Amino acid sequence: MLAQIVINGILKGGLYALMAMGMSLIWGVMDIINIAHGSFIMLGAFTTYWLFTLLGIDPFVSLIFSISILFVIGYGIQKYLINLIIRASAFITLILAFGIEIFINNAALVAWTADVRKVKVAYGASNFSLGDWVTIPTVRLLAFMLVIVIGTIFFFILNRTDLGRSIRSTAQDLDAAQLVGVDVARTYALTFGLGVGAAGAAGTLWSILFPISPMMGGILTLKSFVVVIIGGLGSMLGPILGGLTLGVAEAMGSTWFGSTYENLISFTILVLVLILRPKGILGGAD
Amino acid sequence: MKHNALRSFFICGLILIGMALFPLFTNNFIIRFGTDILMFAIMASAWNIIGGYTGYASFGNVVFFGIGAYTTAVLMEKAGFGFALAYASSGLLAAVFAILVGLPVLRLRGHYFAIATLGVAEAMKALVQNLEITEGNSGIYLPMLDMSVRGQYYFFFYMMLATLVACLLTTYILLNAKFGYSLIAIREDEDAANSVGINTTYAKTMAFSLSALFTGFAGSIYAYQQAFIKPEPAFTVHTTVKMIVMAVFGGMGKLFGPLLGAFSIEVISEILSDHFLVAHALFFGTIVILAIVFTPKGIMDIITERKLNVSYFLENIRKHRV
Repeated sequence: MLAQIVINGILKGGLYALMAMGMSLIWGVMDIINIAHGSFIMLGAFTTYWLFTLLGIDPFVSLIFSISILFVIGYGIQKYLINLIIRASAFITLILAFGIEIFINNAALVAWTADVRKVKVAYGASNFSLGDWVTIPTVRLLAFMLVIVIGTIFFFILNRTDLGRSIRSTAQDLDAAQLVGVDVARTYALTFGLGVGAAGAAGTLWSILFPISPMMGGILTLKSFVVVIIGGLGSMLGPILGGLTLGVAEAMGSTWFGSTYENLISFTILVLVLILRPKGILGGAD
Repeated sequence: MKHNALRSFFICGLILIGMALFPLFTNNFIIRFGTDILMFAIMASAWNIIGGYTGYASFGNVVFFGIGAYTTAVLMEKAGFGFALAYASSGLLAAVFAILVGLPVLRLRGHYFAIATLGVAEAMKALVQNLEITEGNSGIYLPMLDMSVRGQYYFFFYMMLATLVACLLTTYILLNAKFGYSLIAIREDEDAANSVGINTTYAKTMAFSLSALFTGFAGSIYAYQQAFIKPEPAFTVHTTVKMIVMAVFGGMGKLFGPLLGAFSIEVISEILSDHFLVAHALFFGTIVILAIVFTPKGIMDIITERKLNVSYFLENIRKHRV
């Protein structure tokens, strides 16, 4: 029983980690709290839904489309909108992100109505048993492994490429990075594109596992906050640790207290971590 | 200078008389619309105390609204209190809650404070959804106000108006006292304020608590007006968003900015939803984006600066782009 709960939590936690990875990157590098993050996840989910429904493209294959489409959207938004006022106080960019969130959600609402939809894949309910008492849903396991792959790619981009070096130097000191020849505007746009692309990937995996609707973004943004705060900013390990912690805590909490307590548990953890360890469980990693 | 002050007082007096007399000459629908504007004006002005003057951008102020609403509902429905007592208790409870939460949370700065307050509000919503005394997600009814229909519209309008005037007056008086200067010092540079001997913990906790007091009052009136409340609209994060957008749109850190913001945002939303049934929120989002890019200092600044030209609107971009 306990093993099953922990495994469910870990599998869902992987998805939480992917959701938070993009948010953590954008927050850490540009000091933008992307309130619209959940809306980008929603766009990723709908990309997969339409590709599956209209063209019959398998959700796991559509991952490549949702990541690239969302990357382009993110790149454009940063380059032509957020970059205009990026040096203003963080509060201003936060409100701007609010505006973007309202815009995207309602555009989706107008285009696709408030209907709750589901990507019905044939293999959706398949699972296998491990030993006598642990059942593992195949799709969730696949999604979890993809999270690890995407996380590794992220890690590689940030730590082993020129782009990654520009991103990290810009995060440390914008003016110094500019002085040594980093194209800051482009780096910011690429960073936002990467973060939003990761949100798109999370959206695709979400749409395979859960029902989707244009208004699904709000709670996902809040969950991403919780994960980013638990893990702390500044490393790829943060969101993973935060995601798994939240996933397991939620799974245990809703089993013992009932699923209506899920949000109470998440947000209590959020507030407690902020008060007790404002830099996340990993501590001063930034 | 003195002449100026006298003139401002005169203008304020005129506006106040205008607002007080206006319900007498119009229909119930407009009075109700005015009541809504006043309610958001209270919340945006109360947010201004902690967000605008003290520089702590609270993203969870709706929690005080919800606490106010639920205190009134529970006290009137379950304990048989009269509205006057329930109203006072609602504000006070919200204020005390703000002190208890503020002491740990106000140690955080910037983003972290914003997210922590958001977390407090969401946790409180989830708690209210699960508690028995608040009747969870099914909501809670309040006793009806025993008055004629017209009388009810008047009652809620003037309650909101009185609360707004009390809020603005308190803010005005405090701003001209040492306390107000402490808040602005904290906003400009908290460490410096600390080093010159300002008790910053006391000042910002009091500011948070005052902000909660008036937001709680607004919640109390709202609950009595609705006669039925549920956790989702009472604690929704959208209310927080609305009060912040109004404060910013009107002018943060200016006494009348939030009032002006509440008025313009409500009127704009109303016109939009009249003309575009489905897409009005889409336009609303566009307005928020345009306003924050081109006029981050708010309408109040445009009115007082009187320098309306292209370069005024491009100033923000020129200063802050990369």
